[in-house]
Amino acid sequence: MASVTLENVSRMYGAVTAVDHVNLKIKSGEFVTLLGPSGCGKTTTLRMVAGLEKNTGGRISIGDNVVSDADKGYFVPSERRRLGMVFQSYAIWPHMTVFDNVAYPLRIRRRPDQEIRDRVMNALRLVEMEQYADRPSPALSGGQQQRVAIARALVFEPEVLLLDEPLSNLDARLRTQMGDDFRALQQRLKITALYVTHDQAEAMALSDRVVVMHGGRILQVGAPEEIYRRPENRQVAAFFGTPNLLDAKVKECRPNGGTHYKLEVEGQGWSGECHAATEMPKGTDVTVMLRPENLHLRQSGEANGGLSWAGEVSQAIFRGSHRSVMVKTEAQTLHVEASSLENVDIGRPVTVAAPAEAAWAVRA
Amino acid sequence: MTIIPNRSLDDIAETTPALGGNAISRAFSGGSLGRWIGLLLLILLLGFLTIYPLAMLLYGSLHSTPPGMAGEFNLNGYRSIMTTQNLIVLANTVGISLAKTIPSLTIAVFLAWIVARTDTPFRGTLEVLITLPFFIPPILTAMAWGMLANPQVGVINMLWRGMTGAQEPLVNIYSYGGVIWHMCQYSIPFLFLFMVDAFRAMDPSLEESSRMCGASRLMTFRKITLLLMLPVLTSSFMLSFIKGIETFESALFFGLPAGIKVITTDIYESINHRATPDYQYATSLSFAILGLMLLLVVWQWALLRGKSFQTVTGKGFRPNVMELGPWRWVTFAVCVLFFLISVVLPVGQLLLGSFFRFFGFYTYDMLTLEHYKAVFNNSEFWRAMGNTMLLGLLGATATMVLGAVVAYISIRTRWRGRSLIDGMAWLPWMMPGMVLGVGFLWAFAMLPGPLPIYGTIWALLLAYIALGTPVAVRVMTGAYHQLSYDLEECSRVHGASWFQTMWRIMVALAWPAFAVGWVLTFFGIMRELSASILLYSVGSETLAVVLMKLWANGNAEQVSVIGLMMMLLVIVFRWVQLKFIKARLSKL
Repeated sequence: MASVTLENVSRMYGAVTAVDHVNLKIKSGEFVTLLGPSGCGKTTTLRMVAGLEKNTGGRISIGDNVVSDADKGYFVPSERRRLGMVFQSYAIWPHMTVFDNVAYPLRIRRRPDQEIRDRVMNALRLVEMEQYADRPSPALSGGQQQRVAIARALVFEPEVLLLDEPLSNLDARLRTQMGDDFRALQQRLKITALYVTHDQAEAMALSDRVVVMHGGRILQVGAPEEIYRRPENRQVAAFFGTPNLLDAKVKECRPNGGTHYKLEVEGQGWSGECHAATEMPKGTDVTVMLRPENLHLRQSGEANGGLSWAGEVSQAIFRGSHRSVMVKTEAQTLHVEASSLENVDIGRPVTVAAPAEAAWAVRA
Repeated sequence: MTIIPNRSLDDIAETTPALGGNAISRAFSGGSLGRWIGLLLLILLLGFLTIYPLAMLLYGSLHSTPPGMAGEFNLNGYRSIMTTQNLIVLANTVGISLAKTIPSLTIAVFLAWIVARTDTPFRGTLEVLITLPFFIPPILTAMAWGMLANPQVGVINMLWRGMTGAQEPLVNIYSYGGVIWHMCQYSIPFLFLFMVDAFRAMDPSLEESSRMCGASRLMTFRKITLLLMLPVLTSSFMLSFIKGIETFESALFFGLPAGIKVITTDIYESINHRATPDYQYATSLSFAILGLMLLLVVWQWALLRGKSFQTVTGKGFRPNVMELGPWRWVTFAVCVLFFLISVVLPVGQLLLGSFFRFFGFYTYDMLTLEHYKAVFNNSEFWRAMGNTMLLGLLGATATMVLGAVVAYISIRTRWRGRSLIDGMAWLPWMMPGMVLGVGFLWAFAMLPGPLPIYGTIWALLLAYIALGTPVAVRVMTGAYHQLSYDLEECSRVHGASWFQTMWRIMVALAWPAFAVGWVLTFFGIMRELSASILLYSVGSETLAVVLMKLWANGNAEQVSVIGLMMMLLVIVFRWVQLKFIKARLSKL
């Protein structure tokens, strides 16, 4: 398995910049996800690694080999980069059987028949499709096609596996199951994988590291938990779920002993402690992020440390696993994820409380 | 590169250099010299097939003498076509084309509706029968109708006189009506093919919602169905009109004897029927008709721009079929009647004509097989048969390969120069066969000595390829549009070179369309008369040319025999096509 390195990689379409100076190093055996809304450049980045698009700037290396260097005009075509790829549409060739589809990369490389048979059946066994080997491929369901596409991408043990939204055409239940299966497979085989998706839940569940992209740039790179809990800016914070974002001003800032800083902030009608990644001078405008699942409803007036807001319930929606409660406070309406067992009456005065660890501040 | 110690991976590492070792494939995939040479060759070939004859046409129209003779440049050609007589020719051309398009379109819409949207019995078979005339060379039915509706000895008129005792003939094929009648027989199946899938593919919920809003069936048909079909109808109308202006056979057989001239026959006459061929007149007139065609094509674009076809391109709908009750036998009869008139009558006449000693004398003692013997002993017939087969096989293959390459470059790549290629391949679309024939006549005559194409079978081959290319490109474009880019890219990523991807993925997936186009081109070559008659010489006659010569000598009996042979070929090919190639022709 090989690492993948992108140095200052850019892609222009005429005057439009689709990918803007992206720097990224994917370690051998690592599962990295490019995450972002549609049009953020994630698919273009993947296709440049695949060699299906030429980067107009920068350098891409796979392992120790440079595969594309825009400045030197050097470009290795797709077929000589030794990659495996799963397409969003799966791209299962309709004129071949399942076996022929999976055997294709080996036949192209003129492997002996016996070896082809063994390796294809091995690959099909990995995705639990060996009993479908002789099926004509149009006769497969979406989930089965997806498995075949993965088997085909793995069959010649590629340097790197590229996946372009492979789960997006499956229904919700199958998507979760295929995702879990795929993650287990990736960890067992220790494949370097570059994965593109717009689904944050998928990205967090599968990846070692997530790359959040927007407008052709990388906003933040980090482990899923890191990105979810400690976003570097408001855009990344807002991209995951529907957090409460409150405006506040820094009153005091001091090191926390570790890598973070502890802030004392004041907002409209509330004040308290929260954390931040960088030092911020007194008076700085910040946005404080609070995840709905970290907020709790208390009896009115009841608060014990941490942050708290007084308000009244304006809306409550039962969602099965939890109850979405909107609480109107002096600062703004807060979204609280309460237990579905909790009975909430509209108009009831309550106190919303949160531990200081749950509040994360970024520059506004 | 971190390589996990692994046997099979090392093996692949060893084979990799061999994979990338193919210099040609690297040149193509990398995008460099090789591609440019390939593109340049393609542009040269297309230029020779389309631009060169066009340029020679222009040269001819401005030059006072035929190719190879000393002469001067002048505008006499254009001056000579500016006559009142030619105004009548122009009016005839446009008028006849309009007069055949309107009834043809009406009947074709009716037939398409019957086949696609009603519960008329045996619709599948009816569809095959209705479209059959499209595949019969027009020269065959023209000759058959010449025998059927000849005012003196035509079967129809003889029966009419016998039944009523009248002296006057019932019908005379040598008239405006005759020309239009014969053209309609080709327009109707052509338009039917063009429209029937649109009728079939229309989303029934669009009509159902109109019914739910309280509109009656008839109202729904008028306000919804017909209006949704309007873009298809408009393009059908324009296509049929343009084709009508290009037609040669109907006007040649039924117009000329009655003194009715259209532009194509006038060009033909000025070369073949004058004491000294007036090439300058012919080429000038050819250029004039090109101008007319250009106007029509521009008009067609303007009409169709921005019209959405999306409502009728849906897939997988089950069209709601109208239940006609007892009326379904009436619609059935209408379809059968069309088949009887357009196929059974002319073919029956050919059969009849082939077994009697003299055409027009149908008595028991005149029965004979001598015409069959004569034809089978005629070396010219066998040579023409061989030529037609050779030209058909070679021509259809070459045309489709060219079309496949052009279509691929113009829609699947972003290479510079692709629109030039596409445009050049499209040019013959607005050149009637007669005009292209004149252009090639000059083009081949002007070629330098070492390229002796003039008067050989290769001259015909090149003209056929040029004439067939626009359709070939369209067929292949349609096929490529249905293949997602992923299928191709997936192959590249998994190690296949450009050529390997072409062969294993694109060719493998597009071959049904290729086969459909091939058969279509083959039929096109078999029926081609207007360019052939200008470009053939002794030894390179095609079947259509031999028929033409025999007909001119008044040998209607042998014409019938050869006609039947061609008919047999048509039926065999059509059967093979329907049997083995499932893709639909009407995708065009």
